[in-house]
Amino acid sequence: MLANIRHLGQYGIDLLTALGRAGSIWWQAIWRRPRLANAHLVFRQIYQLGVLSVVITVLSGFSIGAVLALQGYNQLVNYGSESALGLGVALVLVMEIGPVVSGLLFAGRAGSAVTAEIGLMKATEQLSSMEMIGVDPLQRIVAPRLWAGFISMPILALMFSVVGIWGSSLIGVDWLGVYEGAFWSTMQDGVDFHSHVLKGIIKSVVFGLVVTWIAVYQGYEAEPSSEGISRATTRTVVHSSVAVLVLDFFLTLVMFNF
Amino acid sequence: MNNDVNNATEDHITISDVVFSRGRRRIFDGISLQVPRGKIVGIMGPSGTGKTTLLRLIGGQLRPERGIVEVDGRRIPQLSRKELFDVRKSMGMLFQSGALFTDLSVFDNVAFPLRVHTDLPDDMIRDLVLIKLQSVGLRGASELFPGELSGGMNRRVALARAIALDPRLIMYDEPFAGLDPIALGVVVQLIKTLNHVFGMTSIIVSHDIHETASIADLIYVISDGKVIGSGAPQELFKEDSPRIQQFIKGLPDGPVPFHYPATDFRDQLLNRDISNHSVFR
Amino acid sequence: MQMRTIEIVVGAFMLAGLISLAVLAIRVSGFNVGAEANTYNVFAKFENVSGLVVRAKVSIAGVIVGQVAEISLDQKSFTALVRMEIDSDVAELSIDSTAAILTEGLLGGKFIGLTIGADESYLKEGAYITDTQSSIVLEDMIGKFLMKQF
Repeated sequence: MLANIRHLGQYGIDLLTALGRAGSIWWQAIWRRPRLANAHLVFRQIYQLGVLSVVITVLSGFSIGAVLALQGYNQLVNYGSESALGLGVALVLVMEIGPVVSGLLFAGRAGSAVTAEIGLMKATEQLSSMEMIGVDPLQRIVAPRLWAGFISMPILALMFSVVGIWGSSLIGVDWLGVYEGAFWSTMQDGVDFHSHVLKGIIKSVVFGLVVTWIAVYQGYEAEPSSEGISRATTRTVVHSSVAVLVLDFFLTLVMFNF
Repeated sequence: MNNDVNNATEDHITISDVVFSRGRRRIFDGISLQVPRGKIVGIMGPSGTGKTTLLRLIGGQLRPERGIVEVDGRRIPQLSRKELFDVRKSMGMLFQSGALFTDLSVFDNVAFPLRVHTDLPDDMIRDLVLIKLQSVGLRGASELFPGELSGGMNRRVALARAIALDPRLIMYDEPFAGLDPIALGVVVQLIKTLNHVFGMTSIIVSHDIHETASIADLIYVISDGKVIGSGAPQELFKEDSPRIQQFIKGLPDGPVPFHYPATDFRDQLLNRDISNHSVFR
Repeated sequence: MQMRTIEIVVGAFMLAGLISLAVLAIRVSGFNVGAEANTYNVFAKFENVSGLVVRAKVSIAGVIVGQVAEISLDQKSFTALVRMEIDSDVAELSIDSTAAILTEGLLGGKFIGLTIGADESYLKEGAYITDTQSSIVLEDMIGKFLMKQF
């Protein structure tokens, strides 16, 4: 019993330490004046994190949109209101599934890569040698990745939603025969830019920040061995996936006035 | 290169009474040593005695719990992060693995310190990089990537990068480890040349006695967190302290025990309590 | 990869993001920006517009030619005043056209159906359609039906 409490206390202290370190990494990387001269590094990272995630994001978006159309149609057709299909799919994609699923994909595809890369840089003393050259790796390595995640994630989420809606229209309109005008007009009536689209974008921005933050932290604090890096990579995917799902709940709670 | 001949005897680095622990293990227990300006100083000792840690203390990557680390009269542990990064511009460090940036070509690796710390025009940087690469004999490899080079060549490129900003102090972490005899000769020659031509103070951390002794002006032997002997290589060879003799002659057992501290071998064999075996835990 | 190629690809990526945003704004949420330029306004008064919403479609023979822009109450006659935006392409609507509020399917949304008249002068910007037919309110119909029975 006492041992359990002690364990719990230890766990709590470890958690606080980790949060503190992660916070200080973030603070030092982002708030110490981002230098314009480092813009090309951000570009390179947007390529690594964003552009290389496009294919998986678009493919998943399309399949999820198509499945939503199939399942939604099956239910709605019972009430003769299959014209609401477009509305339902669009709302679900824009507010929830777009940001959340693209966030999860981002964690798996880009987050793990960031952790492994930074961990390996640490293990091969590249970070140390950079420090000895007089360059702060937090600015040179960590900051561009944080910015890139912040910029790429909303773009990926938007693409996901658009491709998903397109996929659902292919299935719903062209295959299942929902009247095209109704499909789009109910969607346009029901979806509001400010109260739906914008809130989805805010979610994805938060997810982008949190996922890259976790990935960078895990890489930076990884034990510099092959085992340590593999553990850190796994942790990145697990922690950031859970973070995305939990944050989604709270963001929904706050933004949608419950 | 700013080596002032008048100050040749002044100490470039002073370390006094430094205590440092990693976790529960005490690595340095009041270590003190001086590195004279413009000399080659070897720091030797068995593996795991914290030789690399010593370099990191000098470079300010680690902070001692107690004691003074002074480089050029500046107390490293007391410097702010910004001052520290400034001081490091006058230090070069050659890591054991080379630690080249794998996403940059050989040329860009050597150009890296110049690009971040100077506002020199591109053609000037190009000339400087080619000069540095020429001095390590790898000008022809400038377009290759670190992954395409052998271990010895990697280390030579890292050396070119370490001297890109013409530092006054250069630290070598195990520069001889894992090199074939030819590459070894090249590196030994390079270290000597850099010291003689540019007057760089050089610190070599190594356990390769003969190579180090052949170029060092002064050698410190450390063991158990303390300096156990120091002097010019020839003096050191004559020293009759058994610990130094064991290390220099490479005897397997002696004051530095071959065995990690353990219970009596016979006892452990006879005692069949398998729970003592980590395998079964 | 060359830095220049990366810049181009990243540029394309960000452009794709902007296009996605535009699609979501215009196509999905019906955020009409500057679309007024290609439409003209036609007004109509209805006894009852229950169920009709802003952005509901306006159609002729089932083809969409515009949308409902505004619904307000005419305080003099206490009838509903509907402003419709009609595509400029559809310029030749005769002034004796009729407007009816129709239902898409049994339970679907309401829309306005226009039926073209025979007059040779056409509806201009700000013109009124006088001949209108209000939306059918299910409760009223059931009420009437029941009254006849008894």
